[in-house]
Amino acid sequence: MGLLRKFAAGLAVAATFAAAMATGSANAETVRFWYHFDNPANPMSELVAKFEKANPGIKVEAENVPWNSYYDNLYTALIGGNAPDAAMVKLFAQPRLVEMGALEPLGDRINAWPGKADLLDNLLELNKGPDGTQYYLPIQYVVLYLYYRTDMLAAAGLKPPATCEDFRDAAIKLTKAPDVYGFGLRGGKGGWDQWGAFVFSQGGALKPGGLTNPQAVAANQWVIDLFRKDKVIPPSAPNDGFQEIIGAFKAGKTAMTIHHIGSSRDLVAALGDKVSAVPVPKCGDGRWTSYGDESLAVFSASPHKDAAWKWISFLAEGQNNVAFNSATGQMTVTKSGAKDWKLHERRFVDATVESLPFAHVLPQNAATSEFVNTAWQTAMQRALTGQISSQQMMEELNALVAQ
Amino acid sequence: MSIVTPTRAAESPGPFWRRAHLTPYWLLAPAVVVTAVIVFLPMAQAVITSFYDLILFRPNASRFVGFGNYIKLFSDPVFWTALWNTVIWIGLTVPLQMGLGLVTAILLNREFPWRSVARALIIIPWALPSVVIALMWRWIYDPNTGVLNDLLIYLSVVQGAVPWLADPHLALYAVIATLTWQGFPFFAVMILAGLQGIPKSQYEAASLDGASSWRQFLHITLPGIMPVLATAGLLRVIWVANSMDVIFVMTGGGPGYSTHTLPLYAFIKARQNLDFGYGTAIAVTFTILLGSFVAVYLARTMREVEK
Repeated sequence: MGLLRKFAAGLAVAATFAAAMATGSANAETVRFWYHFDNPANPMSELVAKFEKANPGIKVEAENVPWNSYYDNLYTALIGGNAPDAAMVKLFAQPRLVEMGALEPLGDRINAWPGKADLLDNLLELNKGPDGTQYYLPIQYVVLYLYYRTDMLAAAGLKPPATCEDFRDAAIKLTKAPDVYGFGLRGGKGGWDQWGAFVFSQGGALKPGGLTNPQAVAANQWVIDLFRKDKVIPPSAPNDGFQEIIGAFKAGKTAMTIHHIGSSRDLVAALGDKVSAVPVPKCGDGRWTSYGDESLAVFSASPHKDAAWKWISFLAEGQNNVAFNSATGQMTVTKSGAKDWKLHERRFVDATVESLPFAHVLPQNAATSEFVNTAWQTAMQRALTGQISSQQMMEELNALVAQ
Repeated sequence: MSIVTPTRAAESPGPFWRRAHLTPYWLLAPAVVVTAVIVFLPMAQAVITSFYDLILFRPNASRFVGFGNYIKLFSDPVFWTALWNTVIWIGLTVPLQMGLGLVTAILLNREFPWRSVARALIIIPWALPSVVIALMWRWIYDPNTGVLNDLLIYLSVVQGAVPWLADPHLALYAVIATLTWQGFPFFAVMILAGLQGIPKSQYEAASLDGASSWRQFLHITLPGIMPVLATAGLLRVIWVANSMDVIFVMTGGGPGYSTHTLPLYAFIKARQNLDFGYGTAIAVTFTILLGSFVAVYLARTMREVEK
């Protein structure tokens, strides 16, 4: 009995303590925020300190969630009721998040926000929700372009390719298998945006019937042939992700690859002047490259929406946004920040800006998330390894879009 | 009379929950409750979920479909591919680990200098986290920068770099080799313990009778470690069957479906595509298959061991 009494007393003390803690935290609102940086130099704690100093009533708990399972974690946390108040989000996830009713509309808040005028033109238009409502606040952007080795192209007497024909021709001439391959294709997770430059430019589209038309199937066959017939792509391509394509390019195993400005500092550190970039080649009559977006959103279930909004709008303002982008290596969304941009070499900024006129995002429908997350890579890997034909691959993806 | 007294003393006074014959149940209760709550409850919930068409990001469209998910499953070609891959996965990994472990244990059981250091070092693959191992081997296998291809080309075993993880005919075996490397120390340590339990006198008697070392191995060593092999083998079958972290990190199930095993397929469906109804149907089916295998194994092997 004595034991029981002691236990009860202990419980009472714990309860008082918990209550005291609760009242303590009610005074300072806590905003939980998820983001993903893969750069070891992480300025987030400095940004948090600066914000908390300016907003004494708000505490920010910023958590760096690993990219590979970022959305798996986010969706399950939202459904499990343990989601953060705000998070970094991409456009492809928006239709799913809207369907879940997870997003808080931000239109009124953005209109009342002084930073709105400083945002680059058209960005808010570009990341509107599928229902026309504004849920996303842009935070950074990139555009995919073609990286090439200046020294290797010069040695082969080639100019950076401007069309798909030039591109294939250059890739064939640059290939000295097994030491060097013309092009580093990302056949694993996240490679759909490279593929899009060759297929979405030539009649392919992520809509019912948009992938199975003859032009799209032929364009897809062209990509498969680069790997299987022309052999200008390393044999590891079906399993290659970001680390592998960048690693191979740095090591001189590949002479060209497609990625965005986020990897330019790393590449310049390894290759110096031997790396440069141009917009992706024009294929057929069209040109398509992926606009790589990143936005911030507040979740509808959050009890601290105002505080969360203060925090995310803080990150999208002038110098704060520049500091944010210095960690991700991407481009600022503010006019004031872009004016005096020193984070990247000029040639990469130029290639990005030149690509903007034909940069697109995927259509926002419910199939987009699955296409990006798993479906594209499973289909592409089987097509690359000869298990299915181009036609079969496109029909399989079409079935997903037509659902 | 004096023998009865303590029992009476324990039984008569106090309320019924203090009675001595209930003590074991009270002591077991915490473990039972915890197991029930964190193992059996989710298991029951998984079975229920598998009867629903439940896609997590469409919570309102969820509906009861009975055996619908199971019917869909049996006509899903990916399920059969994954099932076959799982059979290869278990059927190769466990015997390979056991064989390598047996050889290692026999070597480690001999007298040689620095033996204790070797015994400690052998544990390393087993002690490393799976994700670290998977990343490490991913780089070893990398055709552009990996060390394995470099070695093989240097030794003129192959002409050009082999895309170990990107070739659908090789990827599964490459991952199996990784898992074999990771898991053999477990067998080595277990078998080593078994070897040390065999009395030396049996070997002395056998050599006096003129038995060769092979016959000694066959008739003394092997029967001596059989109980260990049976138990460790069963544990490994269950662990290997369920382990998908190494595959997930190394290939994500690809290229295509060539390294999909059933637990990985269930994980991809449930966690990445958020299709929990279908994902749990895969998981439940696999649990039944593995459960039946374990039951048969236990019935046959354990009887064999007890003979």
